[in-house]
Amino acid sequence: MAMQFSKTLTLAAISGASLLLFSACGSKSKRQLADDQTLHWVETADLPTMDPSKSTDVVSGGALNNVDEGLLRIGQGSKLRPGIAKAYHVSKDGKTWTFNLRHSKWSNGAPVTATDFVYGWRRTVKPSTAAQFAYLYNHVKNYDAVNKGKKAPSQLGVEAHGKYQLVVTLSRPQSYFKYLVASQAFLPQNQQVVNKYGARYATRSGNAVYNGPFKLTGWDGTNDTWTLKKNDQYWDAKATKLKAVKYRVIKDQGTWLSQYQTGKVDELMTDGTQYRHLKTSPDIHIRGSASMFYLEFNQRNGFFKNNLDARKAISLAIDKQSLTHNILADGSQAPKGLVPQNLAKKNGVDFADAAYVKSGTTYQLTEARALWRKALQQSGKSSVSLDLLADDTPNGKKTVEFIQSQLGKLPGLKLITATVPFNVRLSRSTQGDFDMVVGGWIADFPDAISFSSLFTSNNAYNRGRWQNKAYDTDVKNAEGKDANNPDERWNDLVNAEKTLMQQQGIVPLYQRTQAQLLKPYVHGVQYFPTGAQWDFSRAYISNHQ
Amino acid sequence: MAKYLVKRIFYLLLTLFIVITVTFFLMKLLPGTPLQNQQKLSPSQQHLILKQYGLTKPVWQQYLIYVGGVFQGNFGTSFQFSDQPVSYLISSRIGPSLLLGVQAMIIGVIPGILVGALGAIKKNTWVDTTTTIVSILGISIPSFVLAVLLQYFVGLKLQWFPIADWGGFSYTVLPTIALAASPFADTARFTRTEMVDVLNSDYIELARAKGLSKWGVIYHHALRNSLIPVVTIMGPLAVNIMTGSMVIENIFSIPGIGEQFVKSILTNDYPTIMAVTIVYSVMLMVVLLITDIVYGIIDPRIRISGKSN
Repeated sequence: MAMQFSKTLTLAAISGASLLLFSACGSKSKRQLADDQTLHWVETADLPTMDPSKSTDVVSGGALNNVDEGLLRIGQGSKLRPGIAKAYHVSKDGKTWTFNLRHSKWSNGAPVTATDFVYGWRRTVKPSTAAQFAYLYNHVKNYDAVNKGKKAPSQLGVEAHGKYQLVVTLSRPQSYFKYLVASQAFLPQNQQVVNKYGARYATRSGNAVYNGPFKLTGWDGTNDTWTLKKNDQYWDAKATKLKAVKYRVIKDQGTWLSQYQTGKVDELMTDGTQYRHLKTSPDIHIRGSASMFYLEFNQRNGFFKNNLDARKAISLAIDKQSLTHNILADGSQAPKGLVPQNLAKKNGVDFADAAYVKSGTTYQLTEARALWRKALQQSGKSSVSLDLLADDTPNGKKTVEFIQSQLGKLPGLKLITATVPFNVRLSRSTQGDFDMVVGGWIADFPDAISFSSLFTSNNAYNRGRWQNKAYDTDVKNAEGKDANNPDERWNDLVNAEKTLMQQQGIVPLYQRTQAQLLKPYVHGVQYFPTGAQWDFSRAYISNHQ
Repeated sequence: MAKYLVKRIFYLLLTLFIVITVTFFLMKLLPGTPLQNQQKLSPSQQHLILKQYGLTKPVWQQYLIYVGGVFQGNFGTSFQFSDQPVSYLISSRIGPSLLLGVQAMIIGVIPGILVGALGAIKKNTWVDTTTTIVSILGISIPSFVLAVLLQYFVGLKLQWFPIADWGGFSYTVLPTIALAASPFADTARFTRTEMVDVLNSDYIELARAKGLSKWGVIYHHALRNSLIPVVTIMGPLAVNIMTGSMVIENIFSIPGIGEQFVKSILTNDYPTIMAVTIVYSVMLMVVLLITDIVYGIIDPRIRISGKSN
């Protein structure tokens, strides 16, 4: 396992070198750097916090990923590259992770040390912080006890060996821990600064310090513009070409397009209507997120419990290709299973392909009708009335209308639909107040387990209460006995996914994909399908007039 | 007058108190908490977070604490911005909203009166027809449609004014016009109708017969009397502008409270929803109070404590 990182390192070095070569060549021809290295970026929501322990949304996640740096960074293609850790070593049993840190500085000049990581991690886990994403630490030794307040934060399995070595002890092996340490919840925090500002810590740009490629300025806590300025104290500052990233909040999609067309902003995330008109634009970039929207059946009791034919009939009667191409038409993709495409790969094989069960997502109306008749017979009814719940978002409404028209072709089915606000949908689905519900999930990190764990019998997100012993065992093995064995673990998760699709525990509907317009003079912006979406550390603006 | 004012302010506070009470209990009936990630939180974590927001106490205690806080200017902590007091959120955003509101009121009402008066004086001429068409358009085109049209033609095509954002005066031009259109049209229509009536009345005939100049009659007698009903609609117009601003601020990306109100509704940020509701109520009640006072000034017949005078 220790070798693994050096491999990554070499790879990163090679790709870094080729990038340099490329930009060097380019600079001679047309990729000359523009004088004004300012990128104009847009968010559709305000920045709610800059506290790594309290960040739960994509806006603060994106900002933190650019102004701070954890042990590792996620790079292009979800590959890890070194961050504050120069190298790391994993013990044979997969439980002890040793990170060797580089000498680097906070934006106020103080050194970033292993103690900053220990402090930040303990702060996130200890109960009084009430961090909503503390559960990401659940493999770290003593997480449960510390988080429940039964043990002191100092008992958490993380310690500093000297100033520049961090040793993490896990309670059980976790192969994807390397991705977690690249996420916001695992960022270092400077104790002096946190203590200095107390409750006002990270509630405005001046009340925090930064150790990443940029530092935040111009944010007063609630305003809707802010700027990331190049951080000269960053250890790799010479690689940062942008002087500033200016953010503004635009909530109206039409306004955003006008601002893009006049060059006031450099990017636009299109909605369905805009995508249809702008599809052929040379500026378009497809940004597939590691998210999946799916239909859950209530299997606590009622019609779908132990009725595989009914579940299969519903799935076969919905044409997912048509849903993504004709109805949503925003670039979204038809699914191959629960786990999105391009989330996890092994030896070049995509997880979604490895675990593909054709019957789980295909459209076959004749078979659907036959199965539906059988399902009705099994339940001893001649007709059934079911309700379908979804979000009242534009996509939610379109999905529901489409499903209604598709399921109308099943004999003896009366569908009652309801589109409700997000929170109502959550509370109704958690309470089991539905027959079918359209739900969705975005992966926290690039590993299939992020999705597979959802549908184990006891998971709180398994709102339909689908239960399958083989599935539970596979996922349990992946997290337990095979956690330290990549091949076995992969097979476990592939098998679990196959079971889920064969048993039609859920019906995958679409993988959310957005199309972004990016000005042709913007280069090197990195997009990630999981977690914090953007990295500007290698971005630059080429000469343009 | 002073007695009247005291009475009105007493009623104003009473109304405010009722608004606070009703909003508070309505919010309690709605689902939603500050928890972003409820399913993954243990019950003890949930309890702790709710405790930080003071949501674990019985509802009646929360109510008393809230009312007590409101009268000290403390509206609680926002659910969507971590550790940000709602009062700070509102105070930093109320400026743009007030500025836009006042500008829209001024450029809506004053030209509205002039155009309306002009229509009445030049009744049944092309001037009258034009002003009528303009005011009908102003009433029938919703502000958000006008906003998008202004953005497209004036902002994007002609590039005379910024399409959106907030900066100097030039940024306020398009949103102000979009907001002012409906007050302008309403005022013009009311003024015209009233003035036509007034110009036909006997005392105007008398004034003319006494040899007063045409404009003298219009200014001293006709206009002043026509304005009484116009003042009556100032309250509804202010409401119009306030509700309009919620949409307009979103379209023009203006950091105001209308835009924040919409956001807080979408994110179930109850402390902010309540605070903005209260702020809106106060503004509306103050506008109504001013209207009533102005009413008395314009028309001596409606002096409130008329009997003792």
